[in-house]
Amino acid sequence: MSGKDRFAMFPSRMAQTIMKARLKGAQKGHSLLKKKSDALTIKFRQILKKIIDTKTLMGDAMKEVFVSLAEARFASGDFSQHVIENVSKAQIKIRAKKDNVAGVILTQYVTFNDGTDCFELTGLSRGGQQVTKLKKQSAKTIELLVELASLQTSFIILDEAIKVTNRRVNAIEHVIIPKIERTLTYITSELDEMEREEFFRLKKVQQKKKRDRDAAEKVKERLRKEYKDAIDHPKNILDTEVDSDMLFN
Amino acid sequence: MDSLSFNINGGYLEGIVRGFKSGILKRTDYLNLVQCETLDDLKLHLQSTDYGNFLANEPSPLSVSVIDDKLREKLVSEFEYLRNHSVEPLSTFLDYIRYSYMIDNIVLLITGTLHQRHISELIPKCHPLGSFEQMEAIHVASTPAELYNAVLVDTPLAPYFIDCISEHDLDEMNIEIIRNTLYKAYLEDFHSFCKNIGGTTAEAMCEILAFEADRRAFIITINSFGTELSKDDRAKLYPRCGKLFPDGLSQLARADEYEQVRQVAENYGGYRTLFEGAGTNPGDKTLEDKFFEHEVKLNVNAFMQQFHFGVFYAYIKLKEQECRNIVWISECVAQRHRAKIDSYIPIF
Repeated sequence: MSGKDRFAMFPSRMAQTIMKARLKGAQKGHSLLKKKSDALTIKFRQILKKIIDTKTLMGDAMKEVFVSLAEARFASGDFSQHVIENVSKAQIKIRAKKDNVAGVILTQYVTFNDGTDCFELTGLSRGGQQVTKLKKQSAKTIELLVELASLQTSFIILDEAIKVTNRRVNAIEHVIIPKIERTLTYITSELDEMEREEFFRLKKVQQKKKRDRDAAEKVKERLRKEYKDAIDHPKNILDTEVDSDMLFN
Repeated sequence: MDSLSFNINGGYLEGIVRGFKSGILKRTDYLNLVQCETLDDLKLHLQSTDYGNFLANEPSPLSVSVIDDKLREKLVSEFEYLRNHSVEPLSTFLDYIRYSYMIDNIVLLITGTLHQRHISELIPKCHPLGSFEQMEAIHVASTPAELYNAVLVDTPLAPYFIDCISEHDLDEMNIEIIRNTLYKAYLEDFHSFCKNIGGTTAEAMCEILAFEADRRAFIITINSFGTELSKDDRAKLYPRCGKLFPDGLSQLARADEYEQVRQVAENYGGYRTLFEGAGTNPGDKTLEDKFFEHEVKLNVNAFMQQFHFGVFYAYIKLKEQECRNIVWISECVAQRHRAKIDSYIPIF
């Protein structure tokens, strides 16, 4: 990055006012963006903590579910084929909800039950209680999974957003504002120089006028010395005096 | 069955079954299995039992489903051996044992055809003991009613459909209700068959089947609380060949909660003790566990007498229970969740 970079503007008073306004704008923008970046970082840390907690819970929940599955299989035999053949559509579905954090839109997933449980009577003649317990635990684990999914998508979106915002903050801080400041100093220095130039020019013109006046004065003195009176009283040709040079008068 | 003449036709097979029975895992074997850390340890321990090298050709790492399949394969091969060497009436008796697996297979095939799955996907998922010749022909049908008319009428299970389900019902009823209705008809049929054979077979088998019927009645009642199954529908699913018929069953049909079911069981001595020990707190045995234990006890008692067919039925049931136990222990070992590893049902 060249240190001499500045905006190409004609240095004038108006340019200076414009640049000052721009500097103010850039500084305000910088502070606002920094605030946004801080808010996003706080939310990011919160989500990270929640992800860690949920993941540990998930591990335990999955273990419980598999143990329940083994219990249900022990009591009621292998019902997995029956379930696989009988299923036609999903019973638990998810909807995406939008959440706004400091201007960044995060998606949250919400589960909802669609349709009734068509496996109500599974294990009717043996193992029914274990199957019900398994169903409840699996439902809870699915809730956990969906929550984890929402958290992870938010995490990724926030990460991107924070990177972008920080990039902009740094850009304003290290590029834009110095550039504007350099332009401002240049304009100010140019304006000062122009003023000085004007002043000098004025002075020079005054000097020249004075010199010219002095020179004219000197010529007049000399001529006065030579023609004495005539200089002060030059002839007036409108007078009716006889002129010796004229032949036919 | 005459004790003098039983051995002419059934003596060899009874000897074989008793030999199989002595190969059922004992408590010490279970204690060894429970202490395994990995599935390979389990395989090693099973090699020293009657199972031998049944897992020898499996590539490691082992999985629980592989163990499950191999156990079932062994049971199936033993059963096929017995069935192939039997003559009447033992062969009909062994066929009756098969019908319960056939019912499960048919229910699976009905659900599959209902949802337009291809038959070749469904056949491998059926239980091998329950296969019947018409299984391959099922793809010609696309609705359960067609299925019945084309295929099921020729199977030995046809009479069970006739008794309780009309063609119209097949399309509408929940598949579980179909399964339970078929099973009820099967149980009652089996019971009357054993009674007709008479003698020690009737003694041993009718006891076992009566308990099975009552157990189903209890469990169906308890599991139907809070579902959309009406009381009348429920009453139609109770098999009538148990001790609860007719008073207990009518009381159960009117029950609304667990306490009332318990009251019904109070009137029958054998069942009262089962309900007493059961509870839903962790650490308690559940009611189902108690029923399993009682069933195992009855099956073991069947071996106390000679010259009857009950030993075959008892052996199959005990072997199944053993398979369930081994799968449970393998699951606990594989998931490293040893808290409930002792909840298997010990047999001997």
